[in-house]
Amino acid sequence: MEHSGKIKKDAMILCDHVSKSFVNGNETAEVLKDITLSVEENEFVVILGPGQCGKTTLVNILAGLERASGGEVTVNGKKVTDPEPERGVVYQKTALFPWLTVEGNVGFGPKMAGVPKKERKERTKHYIELVGLSGFEKSYPIKLSGGMRQRVGIARAYCNNPSVLLMDEPFGHLDAQTRYLMQEEVERIWSQDKRTVIFVTNNIEEAVYLADRIVLLSNCPTTVRNEFKIDLQRPRDNMSSEFLRLREEIGRHVEMTR
Amino acid sequence: MRKKIRFQNTKAETAVYFCASLTGLLLIWYLAVRYTNLNKVMPSPFEVFAFVGSSFVKNIGSRILPFHILASLKRVFVGYFLACIIGIPLGIIMGCSRTGKAVIKPIFELLRPIPGLAWIPLAILWFGIGESSKYFIICVSAIVSIILNSYSGASQVDPILTGAAKMLGARPIQIFFYITLPSSVPQIFAGLQVGLSSSWMAVIAAEMIRASEGAGWIITTGMESGNTVQILSGMISIGLVGLLLASLLRLMERGLCAWNIQGK
Ligand SMILES: Nc1ncnc2c1ncn2[C@@H]1O[C@H](COP(=O)(O)OP(=O)(O)OP(=O)(O)O)[C@@H](O)[C@H]1O
Ligand SMILES: [Mg+2]
Repeated sequence: MEHSGKIKKDAMILCDHVSKSFVNGNETAEVLKDITLSVEENEFVVILGPGQCGKTTLVNILAGLERASGGEVTVNGKKVTDPEPERGVVYQKTALFPWLTVEGNVGFGPKMAGVPKKERKERTKHYIELVGLSGFEKSYPIKLSGGMRQRVGIARAYCNNPSVLLMDEPFGHLDAQTRYLMQEEVERIWSQDKRTVIFVTNNIEEAVYLADRIVLLSNCPTTVRNEFKIDLQRPRDNMSSEFLRLREEIGRHVEMTR
Repeated sequence: MRKKIRFQNTKAETAVYFCASLTGLLLIWYLAVRYTNLNKVMPSPFEVFAFVGSSFVKNIGSRILPFHILASLKRVFVGYFLACIIGIPLGIIMGCSRTGKAVIKPIFELLRPIPGLAWIPLAILWFGIGESSKYFIICVSAIVSIILNSYSGASQVDPILTGAAKMLGARPIQIFFYITLPSSVPQIFAGLQVGLSSSWMAVIAAEMIRASEGAGWIITTGMESGNTVQILSGMISIGLVGLLLASLLRLMERGLCAWNIQGK
């Protein structure tokens, strides 16, 4: 079940020996050190890593929002240099446009692409319903709770119909119940309408529930520690003995990275 | 921040404090004039209010008070409007283009410490003592804070939001119209607010130089004829109109920046 991070050159997403250091004055902080991983088309990969290990930094590099200090990322053979609509990002700290309503935020991508108003409205409505925010279409982000904002961020990314979804701890601020609901929802949407998903979390149960494959990161300076293929039937039952066994095993590996 | 403090008091409470403080001021004024030597240089508030009231029907100089105020307002609107249509785009260009900033910023840094009123002599030499020189003075007085605030609004756009817009497929021109502009609106309004009060102050100064009507003219002729009642009437009208203008702009800001206001 375990296999070391051997890279497949024909994979959809290739993260090839990526490293990242932040230079602050004369101090250099090495955050990512030689990260190599590959993601197949329509694969659901969960990146599991401890707090402050550089997960957001990695997502930003994959998205093209930040440049790697070394190595490179390619998607379908094309080098990533800038953010592009084919790679949708759900931010950890929701980066909603505060001057737009929920509706305006969710429909922003289609609007930029020139999707006709009627179709845009329908799509927006669909995704707002999907994340359970019907009735809040006209609210501004400032009036929403943290969890609601996060759901707007998810709807906004989905509504733009990207072929790759990068989700950075999207359920971090949700209460446990909403979190389970959203996990089921994300899994359901993914099963119906396959995409390539890279999902970041520090929650083992969430990782086992969602992942085709889990990439376990080490502490800072961060490298890929381990990979686990999860072959459980979907939708998964997080009380089944197989689930619990996997969860415990990965938990042991996580302990070792501490 | 400001809103938080405001919303601690209910509207009614705020109104009560407002009236109390005004009544207090008038009372002190009245008592001081009534019981001290101040009455040699100051009229009582009642005289002033009576004068203001009567001047709605009786001419001061060639026209009644509302028309004097309208004359000043017209000058302010022309000068202020010019300042807006020049200042806002200029500030925004400075804020979002590095070249724009490099070219315009040094000139602006040099002009910035010069108060609008220091332009009066040049304005008179260039435009004469007619209306155009007044427009010019008002425009220069208002434009400084308008440029400065538009500039800082446009230059402080959150890079995370521009990144998010790119991620959603916005092209540079779309980023300008859908991200840079709306996110600068609150700052631009702050500049418009300061600019408006600067231009209202500038019109008074401009009218004190040479004019045949206007709120500033009322004060100057009051001084020439030693009429303190007229001077104070002019001053009070200026204060009230200035307050009204600022409130109007704030109302507009509330409408346009609803997204920025916490609370209900
Ligand atoms: N722009 C930056 N400049 C300097 N240091 C940075 C910058 N961005 C991130 N870092 C540092 O890199 C490290 C990793 O940050 P990052 O946000 O990527 O971690 P994370 O795993 O996403 O954390 P969390 O679990 O809180 O989400 C942190 O120590 C942070 O201080
Ligand atoms: Mg993070």
